[in-house]
Amino acid sequence: MKPSLIGDLAVYGKYSLVNWMKIIILVVRHGPFDVIRDIRRYPWILVLLQVNSLMWRFIRGRTGRYREATAVVMSDIVSSVIRMMEDVFFRGNRLVIHEDMVPPEIMRAMGLAPFMTELMGILMPMIKPHSVENYIDASENEGIPPDICSLPKSTMGLALKGHLPPALAVVTSNLPCDGGMSSYMLIEKKLKLPVFRLDIPYNFDTDRAVKYFAGELRRMIDWLEAHTPGRMDWERLREICEERNKMLEYELELWDMIRIRPAPLAGEPVWLSHMWNFNVTPGSPASTRIYKRITEMGRKNLEEGVSSIKDERYRALLWNPPMIHFIDIYNWAEKTYGISLIMDSMTFNRIPMIDTGTQDSMLEGLGRTIMAGPMARHTRGPAKNYLDDIFHIHKHFDIDMVWVAGHIGCKNTQALNGMLRELCRRESIPLLIINYDLSDPRIVSREGIIEQIDHFMENIMKAEKMAS
Amino acid sequence: MTFDDRQTRLQDIIDEPLNTWLDQAVADGNVPIGYTCSYVPRALLSLDGLIPVRVRAPGAAGTEIAEIYLSNVTCSYSRSLLEFAMDDRYDFLGGWVFAAGCDHIRRLLDNLDYLISPDFSHMIDAPHRKGDAALDWYIKELDILLEKLADHFGIDTGEEALNAAVINQNRLHRSLKEIADLRKQKQPPISGTEFQRIMMASLTVPAGDMEKALREIKDSVARREKQTDFRARLMVVGGNIDDTDFIHTIESTGGLVVADRFCTGSLPGLVMLDESNDPLTEIAQKTLLETSCPRMMEDFQDRLGSIIDTAREYDVDGVIVEHIKFCDIWGIETGLLVDGLREAGLPALRLERDYRQTGEGQLRTRIQAFLERMNK
Repeated sequence: MKPSLIGDLAVYGKYSLVNWMKIIILVVRHGPFDVIRDIRRYPWILVLLQVNSLMWRFIRGRTGRYREATAVVMSDIVSSVIRMMEDVFFRGNRLVIHEDMVPPEIMRAMGLAPFMTELMGILMPMIKPHSVENYIDASENEGIPPDICSLPKSTMGLALKGHLPPALAVVTSNLPCDGGMSSYMLIEKKLKLPVFRLDIPYNFDTDRAVKYFAGELRRMIDWLEAHTPGRMDWERLREICEERNKMLEYELELWDMIRIRPAPLAGEPVWLSHMWNFNVTPGSPASTRIYKRITEMGRKNLEEGVSSIKDERYRALLWNPPMIHFIDIYNWAEKTYGISLIMDSMTFNRIPMIDTGTQDSMLEGLGRTIMAGPMARHTRGPAKNYLDDIFHIHKHFDIDMVWVAGHIGCKNTQALNGMLRELCRRESIPLLIINYDLSDPRIVSREGIIEQIDHFMENIMKAEKMAS
Repeated sequence: MTFDDRQTRLQDIIDEPLNTWLDQAVADGNVPIGYTCSYVPRALLSLDGLIPVRVRAPGAAGTEIAEIYLSNVTCSYSRSLLEFAMDDRYDFLGGWVFAAGCDHIRRLLDNLDYLISPDFSHMIDAPHRKGDAALDWYIKELDILLEKLADHFGIDTGEEALNAAVINQNRLHRSLKEIADLRKQKQPPISGTEFQRIMMASLTVPAGDMEKALREIKDSVARREKQTDFRARLMVVGGNIDDTDFIHTIESTGGLVVADRFCTGSLPGLVMLDESNDPLTEIAQKTLLETSCPRMMEDFQDRLGSIIDTAREYDVDGVIVEHIKFCDIWGIETGLLVDGLREAGLPALRLERDYRQTGEGQLRTRIQAFLERMNK
C-alpha cells in the first residue's frame, strides 16, 4: 500500500471522529449535568478531553500504516480511559486505587475496578505539558521536598487537592523507588482509606523471591476480600493471564520485525502500546486485538519493504521513562534527524509467559511480570539489571545511539550514569544523557531538551538536520 | 584521666576512619568489616575475629569525584563514603556489608563494586515490612550472609559462636545504656554531644577496647557536675548522624539533647537480645522488628507513637526532626512526623541538612528561633 495524502488525512479524520464519538456516548450515558458536576470535582477530565490534540502531535508528518498504527494505539487509549471513567462514574462501589506497580489483573479477576493513581500524572502532561504543575506545587507546599520525583509529587498533589475519586481501598508496594513507596504514607493520611502494601524483594531473580512475592499476592487477595466486595475468581484470572500471553506473542513478533533496518514500525505503536496495554489493561481481549492489528500492519510493511519513517538514518534506544511533557519527541526526532526510536526501557522486558496451570503458577507468573518488568527490574537488584539490558538491546536491535532520559528526580538511575558513561565509551556507543524533569517542564523546557539533542547530534553524531 | 580528657581521646578516635584502636586490632590479625545501615546486625560481623565498623566520612570536605558516579542528587552520606573509598581511606576494611535500606545506599554498593571491587561485598535484602513471611525471608538472608562470611574468611559461624556474639553485644549495650539512661535525669551529668561521641566510638572500635573505655567513663561521669546551663531539653529524630558537630551546634544555642532517636543513636539502637532464644532468629527478629526506619512502609503510626512516648519518657521540651537532603524516605516522613508531633502537643522543628556540617550559622539561628518559640 502506497501512502497517499488523502489516505493520511482520512486516518486523522476517522480516528478523531471515533474518539469524539466515544466521548459523546459517555457524556450521554452519564448525563450532561453529572458530567459538568464531575468535571468540577475532577478537573483533569478537561485535560483528558483534549486527547485528539495528542493524537495529532503523534501522527503529524507520519504516513501510511505507521500513521494508522499510531492512531489505532491512541484510539485504544481513549476507549480504555473511557472505561476507566465509567468505573469512576458507575462502579464506585468496586473502585480500588492502586499504585502503578501493582498487577491490575488480580483486581479485575476479583470483579473490582482498579484505578491507577499514577496514570493521571503520566497522561495529563502528555496531553497538556503544564497540566500537573499545580499538583506538584500542592505537594511541595505540603512540605514534600522539591527533590522528590515529580510523578509521586503529582500523585500526592491529586490526593491533597481531593481530585481522586472515592474508593474502597488502596493497594500499593515498595516499588519502583523510595519516593514512590513513601508517597503513599501521605496519600493514606489524606484519603483515610485502608491501605495494603506489597513487599517486593531486592534480589528478585531467584525462585525464593518469586515464591515470596506470590505469597504477598495471596496476602493481597485475602486482604481485598476482607476489605471490598471483590471475590477471587481463579477461572477469570486464568482467562486474563491467557489473554495476556496472547498479547505477548504478538509483541514478540513485533519486536522481531523492528530488528530489521529500516524498521517497519517504531515509536508509539511499539512503546505506547506496551505501556498502556501491559500496564493498564493487561489481559483484556481489546488489548490483544490492538496488538494483533499493529503486528499485522508491521508485517505488511515488512513484506512490502515499507519503512515506518521515510528515511531512517539512525536507530536509537531511549532509556528511562520518556519525557512525558515532550512526548512527541519520537515524532520530532524522526522529522528532524531521521531517527527511529526503536526501543525503550519502559517497553523492553524479559518476562516469560504466565503458566496458567495452577493458582500458584499464575501468581508466580504475575509476580515475575512485576518484578522483572520495566521500572522494577531497573530500579531493583544490582546495577547489572539496568546496564546489561542496554547493551543487549544495542546489539539485538542494531541501535546506533543510546539516549538516557536523565530525570533529575530519579536518584536511583542518576547514580548509574557515571558507570554507564564509561561503559558506553568502552564499547564505542554514542551516549546522550538528557537533563530534564519527568513531569515538570519548568525545570527543563521542551526547547531545553531539543538544545541538548541538537548539540549531541551535531557534535557527536555529526548529523545534519533533515530538509523540512 | 578526667571525663573531659577521655572525651578528647574519643574525639581523636572518631576523627579518623582508621583509628588507633582499630589499627592495633588489624595488626593483631582481626578483620574490620564496614557496614552502613542498622539492618545489618553488628553481632554477625563480630564473629571470630571480625570487627563491625559503621562506615563514616569524618571531616569530609567535598564529593567532587563521587558525584561523577553517584551524581549530585544522591544523599551526601553515600557520596562522602564513595569519595573516601576512592581516596583509599577504607582500604583497611576486609569487606563491606550493606542492607538494601534505601536507593542511595544500594547504588553506593553498585558503584563501589564497579570502582574498587572489594574482596568481599554483600547486600542483605531486608524486607520492607514485618510479619512471619518477612521474618523468615530475613532470617534466610542472614543465614546466606553467614555462609558467605564463613566461606570467605574461614570463620566459625556456628551456634556457639553466635551465642557468644549475642552475649558480647548485650554486655556492650548494657554498659552504654547505663550511661544513656543518665540523660533521663532532670540535670544530666552528660551532654548530648558527649554521649554522641561515646556512641560513635562504640560503633567504630573493637568491642573490647570500648568496654574498657566505658568502665572508665562510668567512673568519671559519676564524679562530674550536673548540666545546669541549658534552656530546653531536646530530642533529635532522624536518619544518619555520625558527626558530633550537628549535636554540638544544637547544644551551642542552649538546648540539651537528651534523647537520640536516629540511626546511630541509642534509641532504639541499644536493643537487648534474649540469650535464651535461638541466636540467629533472635538477632533477625530484634533487628527487623525494632529498627524502626521509614523504609518500613507499614509502620508510620508505630514510629510516631514511639517517638511521642520517648519524648514524654525523657521529658523533652521539643523535638528536632532532621534528614539529609535528597533522602526520599526521610524527606517524606519528616513532614508527616512533624505534623503528628504537633498534633500531640509537642513542639517540633524540621531541619534539612547536609551530611557534613555546613551552614552552621543558619542552623544555629533556626534552633534559637525554635527555642524562643517554645518560650525557652
